Amino acid sequence: MSEPIYFRSVRELAEGLEKREFSSLELTELYLERSEELDVPPFDLPNEPREDHDGKLATMITIARDHALEAARVADKELATGNRRSILHGIPYGVKDILDTTGIRTTWGSRIFKDRIPDRNATPIDKLEQAGAVLMAKMAMGEFAGGNTSTALNPWKLDRTSFGSSSGTVSAAVAGLIGFGIGTETGGSIVYPASAVGASGLRPTFGRVSRFGCMALSWSLDKIGPVGRSAEDCGHILEQIAGYDPKDNSTGKRKFAFRVDPGSMRGKKLGVCRAEFELSASAATRKVFQDVLDSFEQMGVELQDISFPQRPTGALFSTLVTVESGTNFKSLFDDGRIKEMFSFNADRAAGWMAGRMMPASDYLTAQRIRNQIKREADQLVSQFDAVIAPTWPNGAAMREVRAGWPVPARPEWEPPNEINSATPKLNSIGNLVGHPGLAIPCGFDEDGLPLSVQIVSSAWDDQSTLDFGMAYQRETDWHLQRPPFPWRQ
Amino acid sequence: MKLNRRQFTKAAGTGSIALAATWQQACSEVAESGQVKTETVEVLLDSQGSRGIYQEVEEFERLRRAVGSMIRTQTNLRNFSVDEDEQPSTVFWRG
Repeated sequence: MSEPIYFRSVRELAEGLEKREFSSLELTELYLERSEELDVPPFDLPNEPREDHDGKLATMITIARDHALEAARVADKELATGNRRSILHGIPYGVKDILDTTGIRTTWGSRIFKDRIPDRNATPIDKLEQAGAVLMAKMAMGEFAGGNTSTALNPWKLDRTSFGSSSGTVSAAVAGLIGFGIGTETGGSIVYPASAVGASGLRPTFGRVSRFGCMALSWSLDKIGPVGRSAEDCGHILEQIAGYDPKDNSTGKRKFAFRVDPGSMRGKKLGVCRAEFELSASAATRKVFQDVLDSFEQMGVELQDISFPQRPTGALFSTLVTVESGTNFKSLFDDGRIKEMFSFNADRAAGWMAGRMMPASDYLTAQRIRNQIKREADQLVSQFDAVIAPTWPNGAAMREVRAGWPVPARPEWEPPNEINSATPKLNSIGNLVGHPGLAIPCGFDEDGLPLSVQIVSSAWDDQSTLDFGMAYQRETDWHLQRPPFPWRQ
Repeated sequence: MKLNRRQFTKAAGTGSIALAATWQQACSEVAESGQVKTETVEVLLDSQGSRGIYQEVEEFERLRRAVGSMIRTQTNLRNFSVDEDEQPSTVFWRG
């Protein structure tokens, strides 16, 4: 039996549109109807995580029905005349509700901004509009891009976290509610939720995609990236949103032209962050991760164990984010709106205020240490075509959060202290130094929850990251597994 | 650096130098007792403008804990030996 249309990849959707198998309007109506049936919860969004979902996923803060239908009609007219703007032309997408969209409310996941309607588009939205893509929904997220605090449920099992903060985008992609998605990442907010729900998600090189019009959590760490149902999806989307933008002075001028065929992997070098492959206490989970390495070895890839030097990455990340967030959100403190943040974020707000108090010399010291880590990581990663580690040591944890972290689904696999002290280092370093990282599904744990590996390459070599992902997905079908419906409770 | 009460009071009234001195005072308090004194947090808070929600006792205590936590985090970075030639990743760049 063939795959339902709503689960097709970007390339398959584009082929369907090109062959007139369906129109953009029909495709958009399909996704809208599916979303309105499966996603809309019996409470208003944005909201705190809740229990009364009535089985709905709550991945979308705003469904832009009228806007989407009009954009789809325009796309159909253009496609009918043979004017195909890009592979994304006519395909409906969802964007994390952190990027400004003209005339469509943009809440940053906070009730403080529940009525905020921008009069401009973020640069990636403009680029997607130029590419002919159909903006359909603004996706649920943790308030102010905070971690594991979104309403969006995990379609693989409703009691599990979809992590954060781009949780709505990844869950909707996996549930077949959108054609593709756009997320953002400061310290793991694309790859972690992608791991929890089995999506393919790419954190591009820092500076690859303009952040103009996107809420700033940390100017020196924020990245915007694609979410899809395959690594190839991510490449197609990145090609459309990448590029220099004078309105974001972090953007680089290097072009990104996506190459769909990864070619032969024989002789390519893959660095293996071996210690992270051993983090899970579940032998079955460790075997799933080892199988990924075996697959690459069978392709002729040369594997070599590596380890990054011990550095204070957690302290560094925390310092940069709290100081920069505290600076950016100053007006919320000045006019008292900060009090309206969701209750679970009160400690986070206090951290921002503490960050504002820190002397500039300490912030600069943090940025000097970061520069050293960048040189070390660049030197190590440059010896390989890519390096690899599990994206998260285990399958998705329970939705309940304690001390900022999801509660382990199986405490015997994942002792709480272990999560804090042994959070994957490749992800921390990749985010701090701006390396691209691709999360792809690679199997399931003993509870049927997706597992994922993250593939990281040198800065600006996003193509190598995608090559490894596409080569893996050429040989396996984990990315083609769909969550059973009705969703498991 | 450890200030006595007179030095601290004097420093606290003299602008930007005062803020750095007060932060250092807070660091000393965390090192000694594991937490920052109320009056020290008040000086730091007042340097940011209005006290806002931190006028409330519960919120102020939350902030006091956050300042202590930030100082403990920062101590890790202060103790890290960084090469003297290392520049910060904030260099102004013209593309």
